[in-house]
Amino acid sequence: MAFLTFKEILELIDRVAERGISAVEVESAGMKVRVEGKRGEVAAARSVDLPSNAAPAPAPALQSPAAPAPAAPAAEEAESEEGLHVITSPIVGTFYRTPNPEAEPFVSVGSQISKGQVLCIVEAMKLMNEIEAEVEGVITRIYPQNGQPIEYGEKLFAVRLS
Amino acid sequence: MISKVLVANRGEIALRIILACKEMGIRTVAVHSVTDSESLHVRYADEEVCIGPAASRQSYLNISSIVAAAEITGADALHPGYGFLAENAGFAEILGECNIRFIGPTPEAIRLMGDKAKARSTAVEAGVPVLPGSDGPVRTHAEALEVAQSIGFPIILKASAGGGGRGMRICMNADQLQSAWETARNEAERAFGVADVYIEKYLLAPRHIEFQVLGDHHGNIIHLGERDCSIQRRHQKMIEESPSPAMNEGLRKRMGDAAIQLCRHVNYTNAGTIEFLVEGDEFYFMEMNTRIQVEHPVTEAVTSVDLVKEQIRIANGEKLSVGQDVQLRGHAIEFRINAEDPVTFAPNPGKITAFHAPGGPGVRIDSAVYAGWVVPPHYDSLIAKLIVYGGDRAEALARGRRALELFTIEGVKTSIPLHLAILDDPRFQKGEFSTKFMDDFLKRK
Repeated sequence: MAFLTFKEILELIDRVAERGISAVEVESAGMKVRVEGKRGEVAAARSVDLPSNAAPAPAPALQSPAAPAPAAPAAEEAESEEGLHVITSPIVGTFYRTPNPEAEPFVSVGSQISKGQVLCIVEAMKLMNEIEAEVEGVITRIYPQNGQPIEYGEKLFAVRLS
Repeated sequence: MISKVLVANRGEIALRIILACKEMGIRTVAVHSVTDSESLHVRYADEEVCIGPAASRQSYLNISSIVAAAEITGADALHPGYGFLAENAGFAEILGECNIRFIGPTPEAIRLMGDKAKARSTAVEAGVPVLPGSDGPVRTHAEALEVAQSIGFPIILKASAGGGGRGMRICMNADQLQSAWETARNEAERAFGVADVYIEKYLLAPRHIEFQVLGDHHGNIIHLGERDCSIQRRHQKMIEESPSPAMNEGLRKRMGDAAIQLCRHVNYTNAGTIEFLVEGDEFYFMEMNTRIQVEHPVTEAVTSVDLVKEQIRIANGEKLSVGQDVQLRGHAIEFRINAEDPVTFAPNPGKITAFHAPGGPGVRIDSAVYAGWVVPPHYDSLIAKLIVYGGDRAEALARGRRALELFTIEGVKTSIPLHLAILDDPRFQKGEFSTKFMDDFLKRK
């Protein structure tokens, strides 16, 4: 079976950009393609001087993210992050929007938040770590899905500061 | 059966572990700091998790981050590499409680051999020769003199609570003892808060010769010969080789037997290295490292045993794939390439603008850097290991020279010019050196 044609790869790139997907990887017939969407603030905090991709032969060096590539955050629509404060995870673990499975979420898109307010739980090693807001404002976007594994520095909430 | 290994390390050793896993069809998870996001080991792993900012304490030493990463990726085993948490018994215990298999020895073995005093007394119990010394701290100058005279000068006074070369005083004869004693105690008090010092026999020009061991969970324990690591500067190894130019069959048998004796005594499993000091035909236990070591490729070259794969097999409950009849064939030498000034030894982090590794027969490069990679300042300066192999030492030396000359690394200074200078040294060429070699060599330059 033939791998993706060049045209199909261009289409894939457009789709990824449109839907705000963070990354898609396709593997077939011994070939892999990975398309990454534009990254936000966290990436900027990393090296500004991105290394040239000196990929050793034969296949381009690729990786899958630990978290499954999140689909465009469901009801919370993709918005440009300019002027927004992005809250990232200070720890590794599993993201939960509610204090327990039966309860209401801590916050939703549109919620007014204040400093010290608990926004979510990141669970690791059976410990429920409460993530508190360090800013005041309105939640405009919630990045991870409930129950999604997240890494250090992963985007959690976009906030329009008040 | 182990199906997914989390590699709790970075750089060349992380890549090394991933290579072994790939060969065995085992999936891999790379954990990394923010600084290492574009690192080669991260790219080659099947999955990756960012575990913290640059500082090791918050990333590669961050136990809860690493365990959380294993949880969210479903890793059923973890390889700690060397350094970082590799010899942290508490970490190995936590993994056990979380049902994550630690690819290494038991927490008990790590704890026992990690304590220098306990390791030494364990060696004594096992009938392994140790450097003659006082049994614990020496309280008075009079006692010190008595002990020193029974051991025989020269002796060294060492801080009981210490390490890192501080609180140590060499004493060549009885006349020097009074002031050496007082100075050592003062330094010990200032550096470690405890003035206690103990005494050990001081060897003037020993060789550092270590033995690689492997133990499985079926009671099989073997050694895979020695590595001579005498070329060191301030206790940092620079060049290692196998076999040792100072070794003979008789000595190898005695030292190898001692290494195995010690392992049996503590029921040692997985990979380990026992370090000895050797002077003439006498050898003394120094310490045991309960992990895979930087210089393991030297042994791999002369025995054709993949030590990292053996570690994984052992953790899987399998028997060792070789027996004590394993042969040492040919000669291998490893050169540690650091991103540092070859004259001042100052670390030299920065962007690598060109990287071309030599190839050809008998040449192996273990490295995780590439052109465009920025060597960060936060971690150690090792950027590559060059391991050459030949039919004999002469061929290995010639290959070493050829490979170092053709090893192109630009953008950062490296220790390559220093290694070439060492290769020019007639004493090194003849294999006549002790742990004093680098001090003398640098003085002569």
